[in-house]
Amino acid sequence: MSNPENLSPHGRGLLDRRNFMKSTGGTLGGLGLAHLLSNDGLAETEDPTNFSGKAPIRPDIEPDHPDVSRVAHHGPAAKQVLVIFCPGAVSHVDTFDYKPDLTKYHGKKPPGIPAVTFEGPTGNIAKPFWDFKPRGESGKMVSDLLPHLGKHVDEFCFFHSLHTPTSTHPQGENFFNTGFTQEGFPSFGAWVTYALGSESEELPAFVAINDPRGMARSGKNNFGNGFLPATFQGTDFNAKNPPSNLARPARYSRKDDHLTTEILKQLNGNHLKRYPGDSNLAARISSYELAGQMQMSVPEVMDLSNEPSSIHKEYGTDAGTDLKREYAKNCILARRLLEKGVRVVQLFNGSDPSGGNGITNWDSHSNIKDTHAMQAEIMDQPTGALINDLKRRGLLEDTLVVWCTEFGRMPFLQGNGTGRDHNPDAFTCFLAGAGVKKGFSYGESDSFGAKAAVNPTSVYDFNATILHLMGLDHERLSYYHNGLERRLTNVHGHVVKEVLA
Amino acid sequence: MTKTAIWGISLATVMVFASRVQAVDFEKDVWPILEETCLDCHGPEKQKSEFRVDQRVSLLKGGGSGIAALVPGKPERSYLIEVIKGIDPEMIMPQKGDPLDREDIAILEEWIKEGAEWPGQMDVVVDEGTDHWSFQEVIRPEVPGKGGNPIDSFLMKALAGVDLTASGSADAKSLIRRVSIILTGLPPTPERVEKFESDSLEDVDGAYTELVDELLASDHFGERWAQHWLDVIRWAETNGSEANLYRKGSWIYRDYVIRAFNEDLPYDQFVQEQLAGDQMGVGEATGFLVAGSHVPAATVGREPTAIRQARADRMDEIMQTVAASMLGVTVGCARCHNHKFDPITITDYYALTAVFQGVEFGGRHPEFAEDHPRRLRAKELQAEMFKERSLLRDGAGQWGEDWGGFDQFQFPATTTKVLKVDFDWPLIRLDELQVYGPKKPGKNLALASAGTRLEVDPEMGDKGNPVSNANDGEFGTMIWKSKAPKGSQQKPWVEIHFSRPQEVSSFRLSLNRDYFFETDYLEQKKKEFPDYRISALQEDGSWVELGGTKKAEKLMSQSADLQAASKRLQGHIAKYGEEGPRHSFVGKFGKPETTHVLHRGSPENPRDEVAPAGFAVIGGDLGLDSSTPEAVRRKKFAEWVVRPEHPLTARVMVNRIWHHVFGEGIVPTAADFGRAGAMPTHPELLDWLAAEFVEPTASDAKPWSMKGMIRLLVMSDAFRRSSEPNSAGINADAGSRLLWRFPPQRIEAEAIRDGVLQASGKLDRSIGGRSYRIHNVKKTYAQWQVVDNHGEETWRRMIYQERMRRVDDQIFTAFDFPDCGQVRAKRPVSTTPLQALNLLNSEFVVEQSDLVAARAVEEVFGAGTEDAVRRCFELLLTRQPSGAELEACTRIANSNGLHIVCRGLINSNEFSFLP
Repeated sequence: MSNPENLSPHGRGLLDRRNFMKSTGGTLGGLGLAHLLSNDGLAETEDPTNFSGKAPIRPDIEPDHPDVSRVAHHGPAAKQVLVIFCPGAVSHVDTFDYKPDLTKYHGKKPPGIPAVTFEGPTGNIAKPFWDFKPRGESGKMVSDLLPHLGKHVDEFCFFHSLHTPTSTHPQGENFFNTGFTQEGFPSFGAWVTYALGSESEELPAFVAINDPRGMARSGKNNFGNGFLPATFQGTDFNAKNPPSNLARPARYSRKDDHLTTEILKQLNGNHLKRYPGDSNLAARISSYELAGQMQMSVPEVMDLSNEPSSIHKEYGTDAGTDLKREYAKNCILARRLLEKGVRVVQLFNGSDPSGGNGITNWDSHSNIKDTHAMQAEIMDQPTGALINDLKRRGLLEDTLVVWCTEFGRMPFLQGNGTGRDHNPDAFTCFLAGAGVKKGFSYGESDSFGAKAAVNPTSVYDFNATILHLMGLDHERLSYYHNGLERRLTNVHGHVVKEVLA
Repeated sequence: MTKTAIWGISLATVMVFASRVQAVDFEKDVWPILEETCLDCHGPEKQKSEFRVDQRVSLLKGGGSGIAALVPGKPERSYLIEVIKGIDPEMIMPQKGDPLDREDIAILEEWIKEGAEWPGQMDVVVDEGTDHWSFQEVIRPEVPGKGGNPIDSFLMKALAGVDLTASGSADAKSLIRRVSIILTGLPPTPERVEKFESDSLEDVDGAYTELVDELLASDHFGERWAQHWLDVIRWAETNGSEANLYRKGSWIYRDYVIRAFNEDLPYDQFVQEQLAGDQMGVGEATGFLVAGSHVPAATVGREPTAIRQARADRMDEIMQTVAASMLGVTVGCARCHNHKFDPITITDYYALTAVFQGVEFGGRHPEFAEDHPRRLRAKELQAEMFKERSLLRDGAGQWGEDWGGFDQFQFPATTTKVLKVDFDWPLIRLDELQVYGPKKPGKNLALASAGTRLEVDPEMGDKGNPVSNANDGEFGTMIWKSKAPKGSQQKPWVEIHFSRPQEVSSFRLSLNRDYFFETDYLEQKKKEFPDYRISALQEDGSWVELGGTKKAEKLMSQSADLQAASKRLQGHIAKYGEEGPRHSFVGKFGKPETTHVLHRGSPENPRDEVAPAGFAVIGGDLGLDSSTPEAVRRKKFAEWVVRPEHPLTARVMVNRIWHHVFGEGIVPTAADFGRAGAMPTHPELLDWLAAEFVEPTASDAKPWSMKGMIRLLVMSDAFRRSSEPNSAGINADAGSRLLWRFPPQRIEAEAIRDGVLQASGKLDRSIGGRSYRIHNVKKTYAQWQVVDNHGEETWRRMIYQERMRRVDDQIFTAFDFPDCGQVRAKRPVSTTPLQALNLLNSEFVVEQSDLVAARAVEEVFGAGTEDAVRRCFELLLTRQPSGAELEACTRIANSNGLHIVCRGLINSNEFSFLP
């Protein structure tokens, strides 16, 4: 049985009714629905936890098959989603958000620049560190930092007026990926998995492919289940490292595993006889079956040796820095997972700062010219190849691609004269694939790229739009936790209809 | 733009209007404006933002924002005026249509100024009452029926109401496994099972009573129940947030909670100590206040708005902890506007923040009563230290001591007006230096506040880091820096000028002492202090050297006895740091700022000042104001929470206890007793329990006794029923909420891990102390990595595993172990293939399977595989195998090893579910 704590009074009412109906063949016994509802003191329409005025739509999660595919709220444009998250804050003014005024005011400090930003005193306006050129049919201006992604701009739908409430990385990551700056909320992938379940019988519904260097600054928050059941967390593996405890330990032989299963079958069978029909017991039995399947299917999906050399070349596993090669493998893995029907693939391009000289993500407080270039070398070619590959295989028809970062960078330099500080007031992300306009740009930042100016778009709006594309109403996808119907978008967010194809 | 223009034009009319003399007339002047402008959205039809303008009382109360729209006599404080003037561009009324013209605004302002006369409505006052059940005082209900455990009387009445009969008693093996895990988190040993079974044959009730009392008296009881409390307040030993730094010494709060349960600290005292333990001799109890995650000031950047926001977020964590755990309500919504469905206003929220306004995340030396275990331990260690110091004093006269956070140098006591320290290094960086004398060991004579003045070589000064930082009493961040000019033979020195001659005998210095106290397990540069010599100024103006670090070292090296004494002393110091009244992350207290309601939750929009108080709707006025000292606020609030007539405190706690005994609360939403929470399944029973908790009727029961309440529950027939289903029960009540049977349930991560360790005989049963560690030592900005989650060092109960916020331990986190991010009144129960993989393949299970098998073989004294298999079943499942099970397992043990059988048993459903 579902855990009633996880449901609103409304949901609990329905659940109780369902159980009663199921068990009494539609007739209510002495303790009936009416009694329970009056106990709750709630008629359905009065559900007080409901902010939006719309009733929550609760996925009907079968305990013994929490991962089966579930229907969306409305006809979805996208069945699967690939999120490419670039931690550290990518400089929009050096990549996708072309601002000629930066060249015009280069080296000057026009009025309006704050004296102090996140890391301290500010310096002068700096022109983009890379030249911008028109790309594709659409002529979209993209800098030379990202030539490979630049080739595919006709597929992309840019958001240039994003803003976020925080200028610190971990809170920014939390906010982007969980809708809250604070700790402990379910991640985007967990929400989607909770709502839609899995399309794959043998792989987890939600896979987080961490950067070869490790996790991003908010660590597991970015793909955790928060207060949702652990079933919905992202399973953490990449092309190099399988999930922990996947492989049979050296101590055991295949026969040992076989016999362990035999014992389990016998014991669980005897135990189930004492508790006939108990779905929690059945659920645990079937989880062992899925685990067994994963032991075969995960190594199989991780094995890139059968990919043709042309693919390896296109993604770039054969050239460049070690990190780029590793990331390129992660990109191939992402495609393979999507092919297998994994619902949410979250691919990270950056990790936690190590404190050493080596860069670990896009955070470029000093020497942005070098550090952004190093990070772009890793990200650009493999990511471009991945998107192109998805398109070629027709996967973009059903898959939404989200390329994102937690905030932007400032149009002016820091006091040190070589880096750009955090900019929470304007940044750029893009969508591509199922359901979104192609070669389209939505919103504008001001002429310096300092603040969102035209159609300012909050991260709530962005997430509401992604959920919408997945066939989910962000106001109705909720989960009761400690007195509140919690949502990915808190009590905010509007779907940006203008970007829908 | 347009708005400014309109106002510009209407300025003239305003001037004309201002000269009007007669009073504003409500019917004629005011009502038409309200009716025309506001009524569509805020009238009898619609009440957007829960606000209507057709009732004076609604204006007084304000809408969802919680701010009074109307303050008679004070237009400048009336929100109505603010929104029609459009002062906040994001909140301009009316939202649609033209703004009000200047003249109308002036009329409304004048009306309010004159007292907001509203004929016929002047006597209606704001009603803060509520009829929601949980906010009503508890009235002890009559126990139905006669005799027996009153719990059963209530439950049987409800069952009779739906024609359900209760199941019979569980068999002895099931019962002892169930009650042992519920009460102590550990399954019973085979020997105890045997005894219980044979005792039960003689006297069922007697045997069970004896067992329950034994379990309640076990130290493992506190470990199990502390776990539940720590979940609720999402206590963890790291900050969360960017660096997720370790909170040094925070585990002394965990030990406090374990002790509180084991000693059966009355709940009212438990509550008060956690809110104000600093005033009750148990300073470590305030670790409660800082249980949640926080963003340290150092990582929010330099923008003042971000710094204020981070502070408000930290405060919100405290609010969540207090409200969810002790009051069973959610207050988070009221941070930005009145609670949508509970009678908690934005003013209540900020009144509550005023109570805790002086609390900050961080550490301090907890206040301990004379008889506190740590004080007693400190006395023992001090006596030991005294012995060694006497030896050193007699033998060398001077010696150094390493106290971790600071170095201490002891020298012969001397009376002087000026002490001089000559450093041997060219660069000196210190956050603090201190001088102590033999008479008053706790008194730092170097403090500027004691009148002491520091002097340094002006040539070697550093403007940004003046020497005054070294005796300001503040550790960390602000330092004193002195640097000898390049090529100079001179070295830095400092003169310590006391206001009058002082007898001195020891000197301390430190750099980053704060950092040392607050966190740990970080890769840090080795602490290195320079060598130095100390001299005292004589009355004749000459200097006499009292000692020096190099000289002390030399003296030590010449005597094996002294070296040994110094080594022993250093050992005692290390123990003192661990077991004594150590600096610990249990919160720190400062002078509270004046608290304001923050409009829409933004620290940039402070509005009315609020006094520290509890919730208005349940008599929260504490008679305090903004001048009330910090500590008094918390104490008074604590007293309010535990008033016997408080409608929430006892209900919430007995429900929590019920939840942990029966797997589901009488109110299933254990941290939400508000309207959004669920209704109690047995309201009368809940109230009877709450009443009984506060004022027990049983002759030997103590008020607020948690053990007593738990005992009452597990002694009920309901708890002792079989958990097996029957079709009548399943058909009528599949969730078993009416307790016709004991509801079967999964055991948590801790019970799995601890149960395996007990079965292998490897469980280290030591209580309390520093947590065992499975993670690495990391750089400040890096993620924690699991290094060893299975080795011998980790074979303690899992409550002693370092609770790392949002870090996966790669075995048990998958079992719904909380990430300690949000309040968790109840863990979700999920079933995932990752759990299966972890329990099949983790090194922990691999090793423990071997160990259980080895133990079984050893304990049957070579009697053969069958007996060893039997022993494994006893150890892991509290029962004997069936014939078929024995046959299969023996065959498997013979062919592939007994450890494979153990691996199977550990993974079985039976092991993971309570019988």
